[in-house]
Amino acid sequence: AAAKKKTPQTTNLSRSPNKRKIGETQDANLGKTIVSEGTLPKTEDLLEPVSDSANPRSDTSSIAEDSKTGAKKAKTLSKTDEMKSKIGLLKKKPNDFDPEKMSCWEKGERVPFLFVALAFDLISNESGRIVITDILCNMLRTVIATTPEDLVATVYLSANEIAPAHEGVELGIGESTIIKAISEAFGRTEDHVKKQNTELGDLGLVAKGSRSTQTMMFKPEPLTVVKVFDTFRQIAKESGKDSNEKKKNRMKALLVATTDCEPLYLTRLLQAKLRLGFSGQTVLAALGQAAVYNEEHSKPPPNTKSPLEEAAKIVKQVFTVLPVYDIIVPALLSGGVWNLPKTCNFTLGVPIGPMLAKPTKGVAEILNKFQDIVFTCEYKYDGERAQIHFMEDGTFEIYSRNAERNTGKYPDVALALSRLKKPSVKSFILDCEVVAFDREKKKILPFQILSTRARKNVNVNDIKVGVCIFAFDMLYLNGQQLIQENLKIRREKLYESFEEDPGYFQFATAVTSNDIDEIQKFLDASVDVGCEGLIIKTLDSDATYEPAKRSNNWLKLKKDYMDSIGDSVDLVPIAAFHGRGKRTGVYGAFLLACYDVDKEEFQSICKIGTGFSDAMLDERSSSLRSQVIATPKQYYRVGDSLNPDVWFEPTEVWEVKAADLTISPVHRAATGIVDPDKGISLRFPRLLRVREDKKPEEATSSEQIADLYQAQKHNHPSNEVKGDDD
Amino acid sequence: MLELRLVQGSLLKKVLEAVKDLVNDANFDCSTTGFSLQAMDSSHVALVSLLLRSEGFEHYRCDRNLSMGMNLGNMSKMLKCAGNDDIITIKADDGSDTVTFMFESPTQDKIADFEMKLMDIDSEHLGIPDAEYHSIVRMPSGEFSRICKDLSSIGDTVVISVTKEGVKFSTAGDIGTANIVLRQNTTVDKPEDAIVIEMNEPVSLSFALRYMNSFTKATPLSETVTISLSSELPVVVEYKVAEMGYIRYYLAPKIEEEEDTKPE
Repeated sequence: AAAKKKTPQTTNLSRSPNKRKIGETQDANLGKTIVSEGTLPKTEDLLEPVSDSANPRSDTSSIAEDSKTGAKKAKTLSKTDEMKSKIGLLKKKPNDFDPEKMSCWEKGERVPFLFVALAFDLISNESGRIVITDILCNMLRTVIATTPEDLVATVYLSANEIAPAHEGVELGIGESTIIKAISEAFGRTEDHVKKQNTELGDLGLVAKGSRSTQTMMFKPEPLTVVKVFDTFRQIAKESGKDSNEKKKNRMKALLVATTDCEPLYLTRLLQAKLRLGFSGQTVLAALGQAAVYNEEHSKPPPNTKSPLEEAAKIVKQVFTVLPVYDIIVPALLSGGVWNLPKTCNFTLGVPIGPMLAKPTKGVAEILNKFQDIVFTCEYKYDGERAQIHFMEDGTFEIYSRNAERNTGKYPDVALALSRLKKPSVKSFILDCEVVAFDREKKKILPFQILSTRARKNVNVNDIKVGVCIFAFDMLYLNGQQLIQENLKIRREKLYESFEEDPGYFQFATAVTSNDIDEIQKFLDASVDVGCEGLIIKTLDSDATYEPAKRSNNWLKLKKDYMDSIGDSVDLVPIAAFHGRGKRTGVYGAFLLACYDVDKEEFQSICKIGTGFSDAMLDERSSSLRSQVIATPKQYYRVGDSLNPDVWFEPTEVWEVKAADLTISPVHRAATGIVDPDKGISLRFPRLLRVREDKKPEEATSSEQIADLYQAQKHNHPSNEVKGDDD
Repeated sequence: MLELRLVQGSLLKKVLEAVKDLVNDANFDCSTTGFSLQAMDSSHVALVSLLLRSEGFEHYRCDRNLSMGMNLGNMSKMLKCAGNDDIITIKADDGSDTVTFMFESPTQDKIADFEMKLMDIDSEHLGIPDAEYHSIVRMPSGEFSRICKDLSSIGDTVVISVTKEGVKFSTAGDIGTANIVLRQNTTVDKPEDAIVIEMNEPVSLSFALRYMNSFTKATPLSETVTISLSSELPVVVEYKVAEMGYIRYYLAPKIEEEEDTKPE
């Protein structure tokens, strides 16, 4: 029977803050304190001396009851509370912020995950971009001031990423696995967790609410940022047999150790759905600013007007050519932000953000924009953008426009290039479009054919859809960086480096002219051979390669721009209305949304009910039916008067064409950019196709919508007045 | 150098069956006093504490304290290869990263050696305070196992209440409720069939049945089980291991739903 000995610790066994440290001390001198005398150790003897040196975990739910350890508990309690009471300091203007006052841990000690979670929580109540950047900046500064080696992990968690995009490392956890982990960690049934998930629509909130009825024997170590991040990378690495089980157990171990608001943000991080209204760009800006405050290494160049903005710009810019936090962050810490462009240069094998083009509406507009400038027109091929790296060791890497590794998808491309590059070429980065091609008929095939190709581990012998590479730019050649060179020079290098072989590798068809008729004819010709239109580029002045920029120096002109708003837009169906009459049983209309990259939210832009064949409507309805959710996501912005019948997970991207854009009191797209309260909507939208190659977050951005609207207003000032929502 | 010879090898087999569902990996600690294990399940809700005292072994040599991290699933696989009457010897050299299980048939005509790799496990050796328990129930282990199994077909939480009347196990689920009451009964032929209830204070606590059911895997080890309860404290479910030690399970209680909704 149990010993009748009253010890002071007995009342809070389940959530004891200080007892766990006994274990640690024993770990330190393993073997000495192994269970002895056939009974469990008499804790009273053990506990007291140990808890002195301990740095016990604070846990709000532990009850400071007995007088003996009361004082110590008060101390331990204050750890979380101290952090919670101080976290508001992060909202201070960076100029008034003192990282020393914020930190609740020793220099060199691992940064507690709670700190980041609390900062996220603080951000979740803010919507202003500047405040959010300030909070992030101050958070990063606190990390730099205490434990700079934890900065990489902190930045990764803030950006909600695991590894650089081109490495293709993903957590790869399905919702059901997270549900399992939550239910097991918190002693809930899976059904219960699922039900709550449908009710709340956010597994993070479910996790937060689940921390509950089941008490614990001993509280695990508090989580640190590094521990969380390392575990994420381990989860991403698990593969093969039982990998889901292993992933689940790793998640569970993290979840079990969470306190306060940690479960909420941990779960969202696991789902890669942090959604706090800031993007990776904001993190980069905050990182740049934090580095300015930490500047010991170099001074801003003289005449820098606003060093903070300048620093943010530098970090963002460097990130486009070297999107690897693991390199940028240490370089920032050791060399400072002003040296960053020197210390971090783009590297063969690491994808650069591809330069993008702005839409225009006609040849006249182009001539207008490029007055007195030499420009060139190229066919705009309808395929998949590819950035091809050829390394000195003879290997290839092929990256998509999102820096995803496509090397396994196009073994034939690598083969063709190794055949057609000239012998003098030892290394290069090529910017090109990979297009489906019928070699017998010598015809370009539409994008839809290309999208039927397998995506991974393609074997050259199994390829049914042949592709032709249409090369139009060269960013690197034989160890030499070319992006700072003019297009004229880059193009010369390109032409010098390869042999053409029709149907396998061709240079993009180009013409240099400023004659309006000639360009118009060239445009018609491009459409005739199956292209989308033209890309017009400056040739010898203002003609450097601008990574990841939608630049004014590249303009795109599509044949069908003329009769509508210009470019088609890519939108996400987020809700639908039940069909009536002929459309009973399917959805009658869908609510589409664009994506606000900065605020990380989907904003409604129009209802769409036309442009569907019956078969297509059936297909879309049944595909979306499996994505129905009970309540709209918190990051959906929809006018109050719309009241759709069902809501969807954001999963699909639809390419949509519309007659024009108009200010709308109902829709929320780009609210605050063009009009402070009203959004923008599309008139007479029509579905063109489903964009299988895009993720919902890559839908047309609110900013682009606003640009389109401005451009339209510019060209047809009369449109604005007649605008009226349909 | 470590060498532990256990004539009743089946004990070790049963012990492992009683632990491996709850814990995947654990450190076995050997000292001059005995062979022990303490580990929590991955949710930190249950803790198992095992002790086999050195006197219970026919031969017990442990030159210096040793902690061996083992995967219990793998260990169980190996021990399943031992016959029920086999004598099991556990051997390990100091600093070695393996442990050897030797199985000898009673007639000494078959000797098998199984060597298993050890692993590094971050163990948290946790001191469990001795407590004064409000109520202690001793009952046949088979009966307890039956009750847990039956209740878990109805609900997922068991409420154990001890009052003057006896001990009540109850649960509620979607299909209905179940209550099982046992009264003190010491007038039995065999002492192990007795139900002994020692109550200082009435107590009522809720526990997840899932864990209780994994505790009852220890039933083959002992005819009786002792359940010690105190409000707000983990329950202790103890099975004696022959004359040489015990296996104790600690389970943290569930708190009432109302507390759930309180702000933290």
